[in-house]
Amino acid sequence: MSAVCVLTPLVIGSWPVVSAAVAGALASMGFSVATRTGEPIIRTRNRIEETIDNSEVLEEHMSRGEMVTAEKGDVRVEVGRDERGTCKVCVSGEGYTDGQLRKVAREISARIVQQYTYHKVVSELKSRRFTVAGEQVAADGTIKLHIRRVGR
Amino acid sequence: MDQPEFQIEIRPDGQVKVLVKGVSGQQCMSYADLLADIIGKETSRERTAEYYEQDAAVRIQAHQKRK
Repeated sequence: MSAVCVLTPLVIGSWPVVSAAVAGALASMGFSVATRTGEPIIRTRNRIEETIDNSEVLEEHMSRGEMVTAEKGDVRVEVGRDERGTCKVCVSGEGYTDGQLRKVAREISARIVQQYTYHKVVSELKSRRFTVAGEQVAADGTIKLHIRRVGR
Repeated sequence: MDQPEFQIEIRPDGQVKVLVKGVSGQQCMSYADLLADIIGKETSRERTAEYYEQDAAVRIQAHQKRK
């Protein structure tokens, strides 16, 4: 017997968990990644800010102003938590239009959600005696997992 | 013997599609609930043709036993 569900992920977690997904997402997109604490460096006029829908970064285990930063070519990215606790993605790049930067910010946001969901699904199911029997990434970037119960 | 299996697709736009199979009707729904709890908000849920085929087979067997 079988059933099919379509789900919209919620990204709710402590900063160490969320920032690991952020770093993984940015690295997979070819960015060089670092973490830092303090005031945002991105202050140029060419700056776009996006928040990740359905996200909440819990304040515990997070220093004030802590963020993940990344660079690729002329594009600079900062990912942190806004005042309401939502995960925030800032992208800047001299010579880029707002539209181009927003496209980059949305791609990064979507990749963060994908990475967070992947790690949450795998870790939660492993703790319930399931195992990943197969895993592949399709040409369009979809992660396909085949998960089975271990023994009885 | 029930052997739950999940086929999970995590799309680059964040949407997730889950196929739960290998378990009987009520258990199948329980596993779908578990995955919804882990991942987030459920947009839709459908029982597949396989679900109804096997459910019907169980009903026929039960009917035959009652005769």
